[in-house]
Amino acid sequence: MLEVKNITKIYGEGEARVVALSDVSLKVARGDFKAIMGPSGSGKSTLLNIIGGLDRLSSGEVVLEGRRVDSLNENALVDIRRGKIAYVFQQYHLLPSLTALENVLLPLMFGEVRVNIEKALDILRRVGLEKRVGHQPSQLSGGEQQRVAIARALVNDPLLVLADEPTGNMDQRTGREILDLFQQLNEGGRSIIMVTHDPEIARQAKETIVLRDGQIVDRVNQKKGR
Amino acid sequence: MLFAVIGVIIGTMTVVGIFTIASAGEARMIDQLEKYGPNLTVIPAISNVDMQLGGLSLGTLSVGENYIAEEKLPQIREIADSEIKEVMGIDDEGDIATIAPKLYINTKVNGTSVMVVGVEPQEEINIKTWWRVSEGEYLNHTDQALLGAFAAELLGLSSGDRIALNGADITVVGILEETGSDEDYQIFVPLETLQKAFDKEGLISSMDIRALCNACPVVMIADDINNSIPGVRAIAVQQVASAEAEMMGRINRFMLALAGITLAVGLFGVGNTMMRSVNERIKDIGIMRAVGASRNQIMKVFIYQAIIIGIVGGVFGYLAGTLLAYALGPVLFGVSSISPVSQYFPLALGIAIGVAVIATVYPAFRAARIKVADSFRSL
Repeated sequence: MLEVKNITKIYGEGEARVVALSDVSLKVARGDFKAIMGPSGSGKSTLLNIIGGLDRLSSGEVVLEGRRVDSLNENALVDIRRGKIAYVFQQYHLLPSLTALENVLLPLMFGEVRVNIEKALDILRRVGLEKRVGHQPSQLSGGEQQRVAIARALVNDPLLVLADEPTGNMDQRTGREILDLFQQLNEGGRSIIMVTHDPEIARQAKETIVLRDGQIVDRVNQKKGR
Repeated sequence: MLFAVIGVIIGTMTVVGIFTIASAGEARMIDQLEKYGPNLTVIPAISNVDMQLGGLSLGTLSVGENYIAEEKLPQIREIADSEIKEVMGIDDEGDIATIAPKLYINTKVNGTSVMVVGVEPQEEINIKTWWRVSEGEYLNHTDQALLGAFAAELLGLSSGDRIALNGADITVVGILEETGSDEDYQIFVPLETLQKAFDKEGLISSMDIRALCNACPVVMIADDINNSIPGVRAIAVQQVASAEAEMMGRINRFMLALAGITLAVGLFGVGNTMMRSVNERIKDIGIMRAVGASRNQIMKVFIYQAIIIGIVGGVFGYLAGTLLAYALGPVLFGVSSISPVSQYFPLALGIAIGVAVIATVYPAFRAARIKVADSFRSL
């Protein structure tokens, strides 16, 4: 479904030149669950941003469902964000002035589709927030905010969910719950790419890719036989 | 956001205030033209020639008659009526313009020098619509006199008293309310009576012509009279009014320039606030982009905000401008009868929304250019 071919990302020029990613390739099949691990500054988030079209690559290709997406213009990228790819961030990135429900409705409002409140409520129920729909992010705990963010990611029925250290700000128990939620999504057929530096979490994925200094240094297949 | 609204309010307020005052001034002018005086005055064509001999002034020589022959009146009426009928598209016969002939005689009454004016009572009251008789009644017989307020006071006369005009015996029948003009010092008697008393039969000093309309072609009538009737000079009162109108127009232009500057300042105020708002919301904009907002949608978010600012600013700007007109109209322009002009409400709304939206175009454009990855990285 998704193929990353020999991508390289270079920031800056001359003296300040930093190679964030160097010749990285990977394939994600439908229903796949990949973890990307590595120390800080190893290029994990950059890789995720490039896959999601949030950042441009210096060379290489990103092919989504047979179509190159690395060189798309802004309007085409908007189409991809409206249904193919969704993001979950470590910092949740909810709009603070909106309620949980409104945050989940946001992609539908921008998506020029019928705003389906029932659907948003249903998803919020699935992530266990049916009693918190009218609360603003500041009134919610970190775990609850991340559930809202996950619900927001799901409301457009994306093929692929990109998660950048979604449990990074949580205690172990809450992180576990969020991870379980991702497991359920994956079992429901959605592909997931998750950046983490927690080996415990990485072990839940079907494959773990280890980055160091912008290069893939290891691939670990968990072979859970699912 | 509040500052942006206030900026728009102040700009709109200035424009509405100026327009409201100006419209009150204009209304007052039209009102005064209608109320105070005729549209045309016809006077004898007298030329004053300065007589000079080698730089030595020998005084002034008046050339021409001091009076107009009464028999010219039908000719003048003919000209005035035909012009009005043509312009207004009136076909029927009959008189249209009111023509009030007058004879001015300076004489002594009870030993005091005073101006006595001979008038056609009915024509005169048609023109002097502001005349109110405070005591007694209006003229209706040949041997009666009507006194200006101060003339009555100075001469110690009240209605019922008798006066002698060059031997003619006249009864005072009424006294006018104060009008604030020369009329307060004058005595009015029927034209015929005065002509007889002073041997001026068939002569008048001037005549006032009042057309019934504001759009009447008074300048054309005046030109026509001047060209076709010798010995008289017709003056359109509009010429006097137009000088005042020009002054008013000049003040208005100055104030509008001021309003333009205020609007420009408001424009920058709104632009600045919007730019700050964009910068404060970089992260929010990034989030919106990440969940599928297009560049146009981001621009729309800010433009809609500008429209709301414009609507609020326009409504309050209109109200504030009207209040400003109430407060400043009497002080600055002596215009006391300010009334809200509802046609300026859409104008105010349009200006306010226009200013707010124009000021927001660039900030909104910048907002739309924000990249998702950059917006999160900057945190």
